[in-house]
Amino acid sequence: MGRLLSGRGQAPLLACALLLAALAALLQPLRAAADGIEAGADVLAVSSNGTTSFLNNGLGAVRFDSDHQGLQLDNVRLGYRGTAAEIVHFTVEAVSYGDRDANPIDLTEAFAEIRPFPHGPWRSRLKIGAFYAPISLENRLPGWRSAYSLSPSAINTWVGEELRTFGAEYDLDWLGRQRGHDWELSLGGSVYGWNESAGELMSERGWAIHDRQSTLFAKFGTAEPGAIADERLLTDAGANRAGYYVDGAAKYLDALELRALHYDNRANPGAYSEEANNYPWQTQFNSAGVRWTPSTHWTLISQWLHGSTCSDAEDEEYYCWSFESEFLLLSWQLGPTRLSGRYERFDMHQSVPSGAPDGYRDQGHAWTFACERAFNRYLSVALEFIQADTSLNERLEFGLPQGATERELELALRLHL
Amino acid sequence: MRILYQRPPGCLRRMLAAALLVACPRLPAADLEISVLDSTGHGVAGIVLIAEPQFELPASKHPAARTVIMDQRQKQFVPNILIIQTGTGIEFPNSDQIEHQVYSFSPAKPFQLSLYAGHKYPPIVFDKAGLVVVGCNIHDQMIGYIYVTDSPYFGRSDASGSWSQHDVPAGSYRITAWHPRLQEPAGASVQIPLTVTDGSPASAAFKLAKPLRPSSEHGGDQRWVDY
Repeated sequence: MGRLLSGRGQAPLLACALLLAALAALLQPLRAAADGIEAGADVLAVSSNGTTSFLNNGLGAVRFDSDHQGLQLDNVRLGYRGTAAEIVHFTVEAVSYGDRDANPIDLTEAFAEIRPFPHGPWRSRLKIGAFYAPISLENRLPGWRSAYSLSPSAINTWVGEELRTFGAEYDLDWLGRQRGHDWELSLGGSVYGWNESAGELMSERGWAIHDRQSTLFAKFGTAEPGAIADERLLTDAGANRAGYYVDGAAKYLDALELRALHYDNRANPGAYSEEANNYPWQTQFNSAGVRWTPSTHWTLISQWLHGSTCSDAEDEEYYCWSFESEFLLLSWQLGPTRLSGRYERFDMHQSVPSGAPDGYRDQGHAWTFACERAFNRYLSVALEFIQADTSLNERLEFGLPQGATERELELALRLHL
Repeated sequence: MRILYQRPPGCLRRMLAAALLVACPRLPAADLEISVLDSTGHGVAGIVLIAEPQFELPASKHPAARTVIMDQRQKQFVPNILIIQTGTGIEFPNSDQIEHQVYSFSPAKPFQLSLYAGHKYPPIVFDKAGLVVVGCNIHDQMIGYIYVTDSPYFGRSDASGSWSQHDVPAGSYRITAWHPRLQEPAGASVQIPLTVTDGSPASAAFKLAKPLRPSSEHGGDQRWVDY
């Protein structure tokens, strides 16, 4: 941590701190009356030996590399949850990151949810807008932040990087606990579009572990050294077919939660778009997860995701990449202190048309240890250590060793307003 | 639980009591003590206990209607279990800084309270016996239980697993033990019969075959939102 205080970025930090203070003053009178105006900021002291991340055209597996140590602004965020006509609830999540994001302030989610009063054990919900698919069991805090560590698992990092539902999601809930049962069940489905870039970053770099969510309107970087970042979450590349996902969830009291989801964006990988200068990425995957909270102190979470993405037709054969990851997280909380440890494995490999050169392959595993202590409702301090051991043969093309052991230590001052 | 009701002035109370002593002969009665024990013989606290008389109680044994409170704090109902007699009103103030949307579709008392904060609504009177499960339509993790009984004799077991009631009219009773996390073979509610005879204390004990299911409210983290 010797370089912690020697980093750059103090001017944006100061500006963001002032912005946050102004927001706090402005919003305080509203907090008592409105549902959920929530703001916050995370300021980091970083020590890392990581290689350049996708935010700076690199292939690194962590967010901050050895050139981005010291004081860093993780994010300043502002969330609003409001209600109209009693049953229509609005959520808008805005964020500003301290990196070279093209938009100083942008949105990560913006949606309306219609949630009528249940008149029996069945309840319908309908979401419309831009929002996250119900995959993560870690990211449960406002702003889709992890409740257990600064950086979510590789699975949920990828969800934050490349996936967003631009469309509608319908859920049918069975509120069994209201009927004296122990279970609650939910079945849902979604139809969406404009997310045909999903899979491109995975194909370029494989998996990563960080908390940098992609925003709705900005270009968000590329892992290809020397290339110009042009990937966007919201894209109309190609024929723009409607995609879908179906999902199910079950909850036993507050102790056990199960989730499963099948995703297919139904993109046409051969439909080249001159406007986007790209092929759509046909991405489909299955994911499943379980959270077990056997007591008020302990939580165990495991998620698994396996899928593929295909693009770029060549003689009617597509380049395809398979990807898979799973993790196990154990967390212990006592009052204002939470300790968490996570182990994860990941793999991405490319299958290429016959006669083409060998494809890319990313294999690795990572350990994450995190500790957070809340001093009051406004301030907490978190410490996180990540070690990611990866083997990515694409690095050889850029004169880098194929294998890398990246270590990142972050000390975060977290403000919540 | 805060109990809100108006007591008559002291002198009036004493006059009424004297008049009753003269006018009404004393009913045969005794003290009642119920305990709840786990499989190792230790007391289990917090169990709802109700003594339901299997006979018609005299009108003098029905207390005046009153109002109690089930608050909402940190996205939880406080207390999250209430036992009330039929005819009791419950206020649902919201002490959180965010709004809640309280509802129940339990047959004993379906109701809805549109989005609100603070003290907005008058008490809701629960006029039918039964279990009423309440929730918040915004925060699904919020669950509260209201056990409505016709009997005036009810309480919850203390730290030693006991609940006692003085001056219970003699007769046959059905004693019910209930808790949402009870996992007995019969379910969340178990019952035993008990006869109270004049002047001799009556007691009964529930011996639970299994411990209560653990309570786990998101590991104590109230910041969760519905993702």
